[in-house]
Amino acid sequence: MKLDLSNPAWHQTLPPGRAVAGDAPVAACAFSKDGSIAAFALGDGRVRLLPGDINAGETPAAEPLHGGVVLALVGDPAGDGFVSGGDDGRLLRIATDGTASEIVNQKGKWFEHLAGHRATGAVAASAGKTAFVVKGGEVKEFGPHESTVAGLDFSKDGSRIACAHYGGVTVWSIGQVTLPPRKFVWRGSHVALKWSTDGKFIATGTQENDIHVWRMAQATDMRMQGYPAKVKSLSWTADARFLYTSAQPVFTAWPFSGKGPEGKPPLQFGEEGAGLISVVAAHPAAEFVAGGYDSGELQLGDIKTRRSVVLKMADGSAITGLAWSPDGYKLAVGNEAGTLLVLDLRR
Amino acid sequence: MAQPQVPVTVLTGYLGAGKTTLLNRILSEQHGKKYAVIVNEFGELGVDNDLVVNADEEVFEMNNGCICCTVRGDLIRIIEGLMKRKDKFDGILVETTGLADPGPVAQTFFTDDEVKAKTRLDAIVTVVDAKHFLGQLEQGDEAEEQVAFADVILLNKTDLVSEDELKKVEGKINSINRYAHIFRTQKSQIELSAILDKGAFDLKRILEFEPDFLHHGHDHDHEEEVKSLSLTADRPVDPDRFQKWMGALLQLRGPDIFRSKGILAIDGAPRRYVYQGVHMMMDSDWGTPWKEGEKRFSKLVFIGRNLDGENLQRGFNDCLK
Repeated sequence: MKLDLSNPAWHQTLPPGRAVAGDAPVAACAFSKDGSIAAFALGDGRVRLLPGDINAGETPAAEPLHGGVVLALVGDPAGDGFVSGGDDGRLLRIATDGTASEIVNQKGKWFEHLAGHRATGAVAASAGKTAFVVKGGEVKEFGPHESTVAGLDFSKDGSRIACAHYGGVTVWSIGQVTLPPRKFVWRGSHVALKWSTDGKFIATGTQENDIHVWRMAQATDMRMQGYPAKVKSLSWTADARFLYTSAQPVFTAWPFSGKGPEGKPPLQFGEEGAGLISVVAAHPAAEFVAGGYDSGELQLGDIKTRRSVVLKMADGSAITGLAWSPDGYKLAVGNEAGTLLVLDLRR
Repeated sequence: MAQPQVPVTVLTGYLGAGKTTLLNRILSEQHGKKYAVIVNEFGELGVDNDLVVNADEEVFEMNNGCICCTVRGDLIRIIEGLMKRKDKFDGILVETTGLADPGPVAQTFFTDDEVKAKTRLDAIVTVVDAKHFLGQLEQGDEAEEQVAFADVILLNKTDLVSEDELKKVEGKINSINRYAHIFRTQKSQIELSAILDKGAFDLKRILEFEPDFLHHGHDHDHEEEVKSLSLTADRPVDPDRFQKWMGALLQLRGPDIFRSKGILAIDGAPRRYVYQGVHMMMDSDWGTPWKEGEKRFSKLVFIGRNLDGENLQRGFNDCLK
């Protein structure tokens, strides 16, 4: 894996890429399973599809699929397209030609959170207090939880889902709906959740500007404090050695190899950016990490060299979506102002 | 590219007071404005509008050990979601259930950074049922607290009671909260300008509250009830002593103090110091400068339960130079 952090041109201009005016705030972005399409969830109900190949002809903008905002988007782990959730209460499967079919309809609720599991082809989604797992033609319901689900993720093997809510995290076994869920309790409101890529830890961001991590094996937990804002974005490295967190002006990674992060400061590196990181995305394979700032700045970091480069200068419009292509060469970026970027970072 | 903050109006009122009628009116009238409405009971509204959002009134305790520091978690989520829309709106209305305490809703706007960045709490509007209000006071604290928190009160269903009864209800409302503007209404009919965009939580407009309301003398008989009172001073305030006193007061009495606001003439400061709070959560800033030769004064207002005016005035006097 070679990404060109030393390319001096990137200090002045954007790396090669495609920039498109999306005409609505971006809530999320994602790549299709094969990386051929980048998709952007927009604040006017549209899901804008762009070719992953930055030299291919641009695909036209489509009609709105959702009634209001498209709140969540993932690449479809069971197909070539995407799965989207909206504030119209609909969960949709989107084909590569942009046409959609409804999977679940929860009128009056918002589909806010989505996660996909590649190996099993399952999608987890939450609307209000209930989580849904869609696999094949089957839709299973989990919940209701004690409050609205504010983040969810699959376990490494895809056999379980974890849901964050007020008071902690609930873990359900997908194959055995009747089995009582496992609860991990911590007072306060949990607003983001990511299960570690090795399955050993569950991390949440809380309303009180800290992060909470449970160790699955012993059900022990730890709290990391000192953030100036809520940590809404969490990202584990592919090797599960580090957990990246947003809400800092530099890349911030908690070490989880060996004895874990207890009593240690996080690893912080890179150029101090304008504002705070709003979205962070660890590279799917290598030692890189992308960070979008609430100022609009975009940085690419390398944890090995502890360096970073600015890919895009601050422009006042917060980065709201970041996604790596599965091959790790392309980055999809979206912001509040509705700028859609697909960057090609291949050396 | 900072967007203007969207004003949020909180609509409270006891069961059956006329909140839904008011909301239907706001949504169906031709006023050329676009409002998002956050309701607790989906489907009660007669108007089908995609900007009506169903909320679950998820009241969360903050993890700071303070029992009155509660916020509406669902509101934080919903406001964040609404702000992702391409089409912006002129305001947000939040309806609370008939038995809700308005505290957590108001405190949400003091607590959450994202909510604070994108929206501003404009005013708390309480609909009061003229016929049943006095009876509702006997049934629990809710009706009384909803009036205590209010900036604007719609005294509704006035056609169902006599003028004498109305006067009695108004007198009771005044004894709880004499700083709210009361409008007599029937079927929740009111000019929207009377309830929307009031700037009641705007520190710059705290100066607008009327000095005529100055009310000296204290009544001792109903201390366990909710009431409003003001403290005044002509001598300059010592900022350190004031901060200490106010901090201790809110620490100790936060749950009982629903709303507070004030203008202070700080010793040696060229500008007014203004603040406002809901329970223990406070917001403060420097206001307009004192004019040359202008008489400097300080004034604090409290609305709360078990307030001892004399005791409070003594404490405040100790903060003066």
